[in-house]
Amino acid sequence: MTGLTLDRVTKVFDDDGGDVVAVDDVTIDIEDGEFLVLVGPSGCGKSTTLRMIAGLESVTRGEIRLGDEVVNRKPPKDRDIAMVFQSYALYPHMTVRGNMRFGLEESTDMSDDEIERKVTETAEMLGISDLLDRKPGELSGGQRQRVALGRAIVRDPEVFLMDEPLSNLDAKLRAEMRTELLRLQEDLGVTTVYVTHDQTEAMTMGDRIAILNGGKLMQVATPLEAYHRPANRFVAGFLGEPSMNFFEMEVRGDRLVGASERTAEPSGGSSPEDGDEFVYPVSAETREAIGDASAVTLGVRPEDVELVRTADGPHDFETVVDVVEPTGNENNVYLAFSSESERTFVATISGMRSVEAGQPAIARIPESAIHLFDADTGEALRNRSLDDLEETEPRV
Amino acid sequence: MAATDAPGAPASGSDGDPTDDRSFADRLRATGARRIALYAALVALVAFYLSPLESGLMTAFKTQDAFFRTTPFAPPPPGGFTVEPWFEAFDRLSTGLINSALLAVPATVLSALLGSLAAYGLTNVDWRGQIAVLLLFVAGVFIPYQAVLVPLTRFWTIVDLPSLLSAFPPLAAKAGIIELIVTHVAYGIPITTVLFRAFYSTLDDEMLEAARLDGASTFRIYRRIVLPLSGPIFAVTLIYQFTQIWNDLLFALVLISDPNDQVVTLALNTLKGSMVQQYNLQMAGAFVAALPTLLVYVLFGEQFAEGVAGES
Repeated sequence: MTGLTLDRVTKVFDDDGGDVVAVDDVTIDIEDGEFLVLVGPSGCGKSTTLRMIAGLESVTRGEIRLGDEVVNRKPPKDRDIAMVFQSYALYPHMTVRGNMRFGLEESTDMSDDEIERKVTETAEMLGISDLLDRKPGELSGGQRQRVALGRAIVRDPEVFLMDEPLSNLDAKLRAEMRTELLRLQEDLGVTTVYVTHDQTEAMTMGDRIAILNGGKLMQVATPLEAYHRPANRFVAGFLGEPSMNFFEMEVRGDRLVGASERTAEPSGGSSPEDGDEFVYPVSAETREAIGDASAVTLGVRPEDVELVRTADGPHDFETVVDVVEPTGNENNVYLAFSSESERTFVATISGMRSVEAGQPAIARIPESAIHLFDADTGEALRNRSLDDLEETEPRV
Repeated sequence: MAATDAPGAPASGSDGDPTDDRSFADRLRATGARRIALYAALVALVAFYLSPLESGLMTAFKTQDAFFRTTPFAPPPPGGFTVEPWFEAFDRLSTGLINSALLAVPATVLSALLGSLAAYGLTNVDWRGQIAVLLLFVAGVFIPYQAVLVPLTRFWTIVDLPSLLSAFPPLAAKAGIIELIVTHVAYGIPITTVLFRAFYSTLDDEMLEAARLDGASTFRIYRRIVLPLSGPIFAVTLIYQFTQIWNDLLFALVLISDPNDQVVTLALNTLKGSMVQQYNLQMAGAFVAALPTLLVYVLFGEQFAEGVAGES
């Protein structure tokens, strides 16, 4: 088994004369046996990165190393890598057995019996033994998915690459396969790079996740670290559902003053008053973290916004409930600073608490839970403190 | 329109409002009249289009005498029926039929196979400058045969195939046919390539990439993945090329000089007598000559439809 290293990998596509940088200077060290998830919005370069690792796409600059060996110029078949595609990419004219045998027949000189034994073994592990003589066209989506996995596993490669392998399945099956994939990967202990645009998949499956945006690597971290200590505003907003609330603030001494309403409604008569209604005083410690930035983005996760009975602190704000979305265990409550205000932010509260639209509410945004990002660069200036959380999480 | 789809039993097929009897009856009468007019027109058109074929068939079964006494499309009169023209036509065309088969089968298979390979290389394999090469193929489709007749004969004068093949006497004896095969393959490749390319561009790229990752070489991918999936488009190409090559007269006229190499289109031409026109013989000959192309359609018809319709 070997690790995989991406060293300042860059991919430039020549698009009708204009160069398009699809992957920009990405460096990731993937350890032996690690499950790394590449996640990001569509067009962020995650699939291109995967295809470069596979050898289906050339590398413009930088190095890809498998173990200690640079594989940039190696053709795909010599890389000992197996890939699972989003469309499954099964060979429609072959039976499941034929599909699984193909790789072994083409890339090894195993005897017929040996190949047959490996195929049977793998099929048993995946529970598809009874499908071996069927053709892909006769299988359901979930079964095809298993066959595609089997085709990769049977080759016993150094690295698995998976390109959104679950996105064609329905929600229930997807959740099932997620767990099963994880179990499989743990059993096999094969280094895996998994591409997805789904942040839930990323959070639940990855040993670490690498978040990409616009071809640039935003952060590589464990899921919890990325969630609680995002390196920048993009990561903070990408992970979490509902996503983090952001407020554009001006720094005035030891107070942050909401600028959003004013910029949103530049000519409105009542705007200045509205704009001033969100004033967030900060402690000296936080003020120090801000440094000399004049504008910051204040971020707070919905679950960190509390609804309290009485406003008795500087971080309690009078709001009006705009919309309530019950999800069962929790309610997502959309709050506005005033009933005229268009802009809302979300608080996630217990599903048992009854809150109704139009009702006034007091939102507490504790200072320990806020994130601050530089308004220009998006870099994190201060992340939430973890001291107030129960100590079940790893030290990050 | 749904209500008029069953002309024989309009009442049962109709979903009209049963309480509105008067207008329903009117509608029935109106649609009935329209149906009758439509079918009459269709039958007239069928008769119009089939009449030459029918006349030909009838003529082929008439004696020369009966042919002069009746209109062409009338069936043979009593005593005027004969199958003699068929035997004579088959007899006089038999060399041509064999030669045509020797020409058309290899030329069709070769041009389809080479077109398939070329299309695979131009569609599913990535290399620099392939668009320029593809454009050459497309341009080849538009070259009129008449425009190449002179260079073609010059070429086969320079390339002396009989002496090149003198080491293999059986082949040297059929040099004219081999020249025709090479010529038809060369002029068939552009169109077969374009046909195959249209099909290959619908193949799943990820599937071919999966095969690459599975360790298959470019040619192995063609052999084990692309070729087995090409059935329907092979049917289309084989039928098209077979018909083209079987029916070609122009190249054969220019390239075939040895009467032993005569293909069926040339042989058919000799049935036209110089003094007396034997129409029954000519018609029977035409049917005999056309039979193999019909046979190919019947054999590959199902796959042909699949290939034309696209996704299998």
